[in-house]
Amino acid sequence: MDMAEFDSAKALAKSEVRSLAAFLAEGAEPARLWRPEEIAAVFHHQMAAPILVDLAGFDPATARRLPRLAEAQALVLKSFADLFRHPLPPLELLELTKQFAKANMDHPESVLPGEVASVLYYASIASALVRLGRRISRLADADLRRGFRWALERPWLDSETRALMEQAMQKLSA
Amino acid sequence: MQGKDKPSANSASSIFPRTDWHELQQAGDADIARLDRLIRTYWTPLKIFLTATFPNLRDQAETLLQEFAEDKILKKGWLQRADRSRGKFRDFLKTSLRNFVLDRLSRADVRKAPISLEELDREWPAPATASEEFDLTWVKIALAETLRRMEADCQDPAQDQPRRRQIWEMFRIRLLEPMFEDKPPVPYEEMVKRFDLKSPTDASNMLLTAKRMFKAHLGRVVREYADQDAAAALEIQELEEFIARLAARK
Repeated sequence: MDMAEFDSAKALAKSEVRSLAAFLAEGAEPARLWRPEEIAAVFHHQMAAPILVDLAGFDPATARRLPRLAEAQALVLKSFADLFRHPLPPLELLELTKQFAKANMDHPESVLPGEVASVLYYASIASALVRLGRRISRLADADLRRGFRWALERPWLDSETRALMEQAMQKLSA
Repeated sequence: MQGKDKPSANSASSIFPRTDWHELQQAGDADIARLDRLIRTYWTPLKIFLTATFPNLRDQAETLLQEFAEDKILKKGWLQRADRSRGKFRDFLKTSLRNFVLDRLSRADVRKAPISLEELDREWPAPATASEEFDLTWVKIALAETLRRMEADCQDPAQDQPRRRQIWEMFRIRLLEPMFEDKPPVPYEEMVKRFDLKSPTDASNMLLTAKRMFKAHLGRVVREYADQDAAAALEIQELEEFIARLAARK
């Protein structure tokens, strides 16, 4: 890997107070890792991320079950996008994804941007509702509708997740 | 003395060439080596403070600092008088240096003063300005030293943490270069490719680790003069607030 030079002493010596203040403030806000304009890229990366990598953080027993769960209908579910697109996604995997997303929504030092975690959360619920006709959330219909609508308002939402949210809205109305 | 302006922080030699180290070590002063390192690291802010406070002594600043270090700092008991538990080592250093120079001037005045005390009174700048210059340079040096150690830590082949070199690389391209060299931050997608990041969790964890490493190293750098953990934490907070205040004013 190319390790370009960064001369700390030189850079700091000529630095302006404004840069120093911004740099120190960055350190004080561990939650703000990505810029707002990067959220779309983070979301697309999340959808393409291997399920087994992100969900492996659960307890060891769950982590051991994951590979079997991911082999649904003889199709290996590699990514979150695969999971949400699957006609019969494993319910347990959707529940685990919802838990993973919720943990990242609630945690002050979440490693995922809150918006991305929230879309993942509602996509899990929507997928269970649309593909399996099951509810994996105790939220009232009105709250779910609000959540799906909020997700649909994200300008960076991809067309497939958008379609899933819309179908979930229809399912609730029906 | 290594260079004309400042001793090298990395130099193995002492900045106190006339000090009898053997004698000092015999005396059992365990703080001496640490003080030597501290003064070498923070030589520049001391010089800035001295020349800002006594502009007419600019040409003698190096000699005066050398004497200050030898006659004051290394004197037994000096460090013990600093109330380091309150994180006021910087203030103690400034006051000591100022008093030392005034004392030198007052004694030299009897023989051949480089400047009279009356003149000195006239040229005394607003203390806040000299003090702020000192503190600002101090912060810059403490941060530069922190980054130097963090980089060395990340590139140390003896460390077994995976991707340690990548952690420094990410910190450099995401924070350091955009903030201090006005370079555009490397886009998220490019980082994913460059570091083979599996998921946003992976990317965030790497950046978070970098930030935590920076904080840990900063804590160690500050603890070397602020001593206890609580005092070091307070000192870091004071440095951050000081910089935020300065930035708000500019």
